[in-house]
Amino acid sequence: MRFYATYLAQRLGQFLLVVFIGINLTYLITHLTPIDPVEQSIAAVTSFGNTSPEAIGAMRQSLRELYGLTGAPHEQYLAFWRRIATADFGPSLSAFPTPVSTLIARALPWTIGLLATATLLTWVLGNLLGGLAGYYQNKTSLKVLAIIAMGLHPVPYYIVAFVLLVTFGYLWPLLPIAGGKAMNLGDQLSLEIVLSILKHSILPALSLLLVGLGGWFLGMRSLVSNIVSEDYVVYAELAGVDHRRILTSYVMRNALLPQVTGLALSLGAIFNGAIITEQVFGYPGVGSLLVSGVYAGDYGLVLGVATVSIIGVSTAVLIIDLLYPLLDPRVRTG
Amino acid sequence: MRLKRTILAAILWGSVGLATLSSGAAAQGLFANLPRNEILILENPEGTIKNAGWFNIWAINAGSQSNGLQQAALDTLWYIDPNRGLDGVWQNSLAADKPQYNADFTEMTVKLRPGIYWSDGVEFTAADVVHTVTTQIKHKNMRWSAALALNVEAVEAPDPYSVHFKLKKPNSRFHALFTVRWNAVWIMPKHVFEKVEDPLKFDFNKPVSLGAYVLHTFDPDGRWYIWRLREDWQRTTLARYGTPGPKYLAYVDPGPPDKRVIAQMNHELDVIHDVAPEGMFTLAKQSKSSVAWFKGFPYAHPDPTLPALIFNGQNELFKSRDVRWALALLIDIKAVSMASYRGAATISAIGIPPTGRHPESYHEPLQDWLASFELDTGKHKIKPYDRGIGQQIAEMLRPSMGDQIPSDPKAIAAAFGMGWWKADAGAAAELLEKAGFKKVGANWQTPDGKPFTVRVVVEGEARPVMTRAGSMIVEQWRRAGIDAKVDVAQGTLVTRRAAGDFDTLISWSVETWGGHQDLSFFLDSWHSQFVAPAGTPQPPRNWQRWSHPDLDKVIEEIRKIGFDDPRGIELGREYVKIAVREMPTIPLMSYNVFTVMDTTYWTGYPTAADPYTDPVPNWANSRAMFVKLKPKS
Repeated sequence: MRFYATYLAQRLGQFLLVVFIGINLTYLITHLTPIDPVEQSIAAVTSFGNTSPEAIGAMRQSLRELYGLTGAPHEQYLAFWRRIATADFGPSLSAFPTPVSTLIARALPWTIGLLATATLLTWVLGNLLGGLAGYYQNKTSLKVLAIIAMGLHPVPYYIVAFVLLVTFGYLWPLLPIAGGKAMNLGDQLSLEIVLSILKHSILPALSLLLVGLGGWFLGMRSLVSNIVSEDYVVYAELAGVDHRRILTSYVMRNALLPQVTGLALSLGAIFNGAIITEQVFGYPGVGSLLVSGVYAGDYGLVLGVATVSIIGVSTAVLIIDLLYPLLDPRVRTG
Repeated sequence: MRLKRTILAAILWGSVGLATLSSGAAAQGLFANLPRNEILILENPEGTIKNAGWFNIWAINAGSQSNGLQQAALDTLWYIDPNRGLDGVWQNSLAADKPQYNADFTEMTVKLRPGIYWSDGVEFTAADVVHTVTTQIKHKNMRWSAALALNVEAVEAPDPYSVHFKLKKPNSRFHALFTVRWNAVWIMPKHVFEKVEDPLKFDFNKPVSLGAYVLHTFDPDGRWYIWRLREDWQRTTLARYGTPGPKYLAYVDPGPPDKRVIAQMNHELDVIHDVAPEGMFTLAKQSKSSVAWFKGFPYAHPDPTLPALIFNGQNELFKSRDVRWALALLIDIKAVSMASYRGAATISAIGIPPTGRHPESYHEPLQDWLASFELDTGKHKIKPYDRGIGQQIAEMLRPSMGDQIPSDPKAIAAAFGMGWWKADAGAAAELLEKAGFKKVGANWQTPDGKPFTVRVVVEGEARPVMTRAGSMIVEQWRRAGIDAKVDVAQGTLVTRRAAGDFDTLISWSVETWGGHQDLSFFLDSWHSQFVAPAGTPQPPRNWQRWSHPDLDKVIEEIRKIGFDDPRGIELGREYVKIAVREMPTIPLMSYNVFTVMDTTYWTGYPTAADPYTDPVPNWANSRAMFVKLKPKS
């Protein structure tokens, strides 16, 4: 128990340090951006419409004050940490005065819904099929699956996404190619909305699944291939233990540990959003939000999304670290 | 065997699930609960709006502008159409008449149109105009605060249908603030905003409309907005042009260009704002129901905006007009047209967009002057203008495009432009030598013996056509022995342009009304009084940071005459001649927008044959389409 308390304290300390360094690095990088949010706002106002050069000069100064860009750098930095301590990322400069937290809260459910489902589905399918392929190495159907998985794995994501888009959006227009749900459906939860959300998520989820499946499949097959020749597996087979039990309790359970670590990291990275997926399929989420923040020089928004992501990944790692001693006795005794 | 059965069953169940969802999709349609043939679906080029529920357009950059808000729900005093207009270019909208100035342009009186109502039943009056002005002056961070505060000494409403402005200094173009060219100062509802404590923090959701449409529903995630025709649309300014055709307008983010093309082929997007030339060519070939501005090549609508190669006038290398002219003569505009727009460009040698009413006022009358214009290279005089280049581009394209290319010279001039500068490497070399440059081996050196290096800043993938134009110019300059480089700015372009962080830049510092010959819309900002010192931000639009005493005189005279004074055209031509002599920017072509319209559900779109307005759907002027569009029977 004492070991676990020390282990817990170390890991919590590491977690806090990683989060602190990560947020500081993000703060530094966003503030080094050559994009000036004031100029972006002025360009948005003057790109098409009438304007006078004198008015722009006055507008430039007043926007700098409004956006809080006039203080000394250390004052801005301290103000930033004061806000972070209260989970307030301040207003978005490209959607002023709406708080960044409001924008993230609106986008995050879409990202979590799509990516968590796709990640879990890919992980379960990939590991299951990979485990079967590693154990039943002479099955033709699994060999074919292995070839497909190996073929799809190296294909760049955007190619797969584009092929799906053209196939199911144009050649065989079965599925919607943009958005999170049908237009004009209303906001009240209903079966119609749920079905519409499901339908709109099929193509982006399928694209993630096709590309992600190969990695888990090949990883699991490789792990299982090694474990099947271990003494305890051979002994179990010789002892006449049921094959299904050998596969699930002797082989896959042991092979799962590194895969669980990978899953935790993948789930943590969900908070980054799937930028290309959201862009290609016009799917709402934090990835698109992040891209628009970068292009607009919106420090607050980029910092907000990045901070959520840093905390997400670090928390996932922390949870895995805390669970490991419970799952694997070797960590506990080591 | 069991495993095979399991896999087969999984595939079967997956297919059944997909089919079930898809059949549900077909039954549900593109829009739930709305008939497709009553909706006009237009692209909002702003994309997905991250602050979707914000409709207070008077707050800077807080929400969307072209999500239908400014096209369907807002109104102001006047509109100038970039093309011909429904009943002329000038439209008195909320104003009953043109602006009335006093003799020295220090006062402006506006008579308002009676019988116009907000969508909540309150009548629009002069009090709304006064409130719009005073609120923005009082709160300095609003969209038009600075412009109004600089100009307006006092504003009052002597009666419900009259507004009287007293200005701080003479301004013969003050009305331009309230005149739509894409947008203008929109009138806010006094009865709504007077109850708001801080108008900067007010989202104006749901917006009270002064236009013919009212907000129906919108996506909280910002991908679409649906506007519904008001039941009392007859009490709006659009009603005098007829009955609006579409009952609903949907402004949507259809995604990247490829998806816009797919969406229109599936008849799920009636008006594409813009696609790459290749997308346009695909639609022209494969979608029989798609139409564009021109019936054939080059299809696109030429916007009253003039992309150019802009020199940084504060860079020592480009202070000599001989150098600027030499670089112009090293450009083969035909190759630039092919590289950028695949030939679908409308070229212009002069600093005025070749669109709207400008060709008849400027391009055509100046052809003889341009043809006789002489340039002294230091060794001899040349006449650099070739009035047949538009025709030559058309002939280059004819073998591959066939009858898509017009044969009438007037139609060719309208589509491809008139003349441009002949590429003349010999004359360019003489001009560079005249400016003190030397050619050592195959490469040019500056007067102080350094390699002649020129960065051409382009925007990158966000504006591929202009990026390709810049890349081609770099290629041509490199062939001539100049160390030219493409500098891709991506999202930093706006900041770098304002900061003067470029040698040369592909962008535009010329934007005009299009339908009106007055050039003050951009030209006033070219006065020397607005050129920022090096190292400080430059206000729009004189990105070249260039000025000339002769041009200052022209601008100062324009300021003293009325908007419609015929002298304005003469002064505009004077500007053209100064700009040709000095070449502060190298004008290239109009900004051609590949707006593509699907006629499956709607007919009556504006085209070059019936140019009643600009079809580009983010322009507020595009509201004219709503009354001309009719359902396809």
